[in-house]
Amino acid sequence: MLEERTIHLINTDIDGELTAAEREELDVILESSSEAREMRVELLRLSNLLDSLPEQSPPPALLKQILNKLAPSSRASNFSLSGLFASFQPATAGMTFAAGLLLTVGFYELSPNGQSSSDTASMVGTMVASQPGSQDLLKNDVRLKGDGFSGTVSLRNKDGVYILNFDLDSSDMTEIKVGLDRTGLSFGGFAETVSDADKVFESVTISGGTLRVVNQGRQQFAVFLRVNSPEQAIDAGSVTIDFPRDGDRLYGGVPES
Amino acid sequence: MISNSQDHALIERCKSGDRQSLEKLVGLYEKPVYNAAYRILGNLDDAADITQAVFLKVFEHLGQYDPKYKLFSWIYRIAVNESINQLKRGKRQQTFSDNEVAATDNPEAELAAGDLSREIQIGLMGLKEDYRTVIVLRHFSDCSYAQISEILQIPEKTVKSRLYSARQLMKETLQARGVH
Repeated sequence: MLEERTIHLINTDIDGELTAAEREELDVILESSSEAREMRVELLRLSNLLDSLPEQSPPPALLKQILNKLAPSSRASNFSLSGLFASFQPATAGMTFAAGLLLTVGFYELSPNGQSSSDTASMVGTMVASQPGSQDLLKNDVRLKGDGFSGTVSLRNKDGVYILNFDLDSSDMTEIKVGLDRTGLSFGGFAETVSDADKVFESVTISGGTLRVVNQGRQQFAVFLRVNSPEQAIDAGSVTIDFPRDGDRLYGGVPES
Repeated sequence: MISNSQDHALIERCKSGDRQSLEKLVGLYEKPVYNAAYRILGNLDDAADITQAVFLKVFEHLGQYDPKYKLFSWIYRIAVNESINQLKRGKRQQTFSDNEVAATDNPEAELAAGDLSREIQIGLMGLKEDYRTVIVLRHFSDCSYAQISEILQIPEKTVKSRLYSARQLMKETLQARGVH
């Protein structure tokens, strides 16, 4: 049975961290102990085996994926939604789509961890439309028009807070869903700015990354999207806005020309 | 590995949002982090996930980086912690990949190397996390006792003790599986 000191010296030798004095000490032990020599050979073999395993190369796309998450894309400063909306063809004003329409609003910013906040109270009452200093992110507001339903949606950025403005008028109860799951932005607040006196919001609910509003009548409201932690880089994501109705019928719109 | 002053300068440039510095930092540490994560987790897909998570954490907490530690130690510490957390979540662990052995012109040698590599990874995965981590840092990340001590924030004496025990267990496991 080898002494603890011998085991220590052999392992330290394997690791190349022996001092000169320890080297001399080990040499003396190895000269006199076949058991120590055998242990050293076995550990050296194991060490060589471990050291011989090939290094793995990360997937080629990994570096780019990481960098995309870490840094804002150069597209951010010039980003416009008009190109995205142009894909909704045919772009005829007032057209009702039989199939669903999904408006996709891209964000390319450093953004927070996607945690949603339900703290809406502090934002209620804040009028954001046409605020001085705000930056229009929607070059062309989205105009929505359908059967008993019309309105516009715009997206603005004010002091780092992204604001989706809705100006809607619907004869029937209408459901609107704002999806934040893939954006990395979190829900920062909700403000109702104008509404019919007798037709207030039926409900406003937040679940995970989805804000769901059910309303009727004339409504102006704003959804605030917050970037909580600029240090944390996340995926370029997208906000989705959709307007399902009657279970299987969705209304869509086209941008103003 | 780069010097402390270079580390510090790199961190400062990253904090200011300099994209080239971000790329440099990720480029320097991507492969070591990926390999360490792979050896701890035993799964290439998990290793890629963890590598991403590590760099997101690194950049999220750049402001908390303490210059008294070496940058690589800090990054490795995050990598080890993330990997261990992943193990605890129990995702896809211990599904050793056949793709790990580099292709050669000699299929028999490739097969033998693949078998050996697989056996070693099995041996590694049989170790408890504390032991596996020191083996990975010593043999796959080429860290010294002092560096492992700094990464894991444990005394060097503990590093040595864990390493010796881990090697002994690995040796016994491999011998039992016919690997000599």
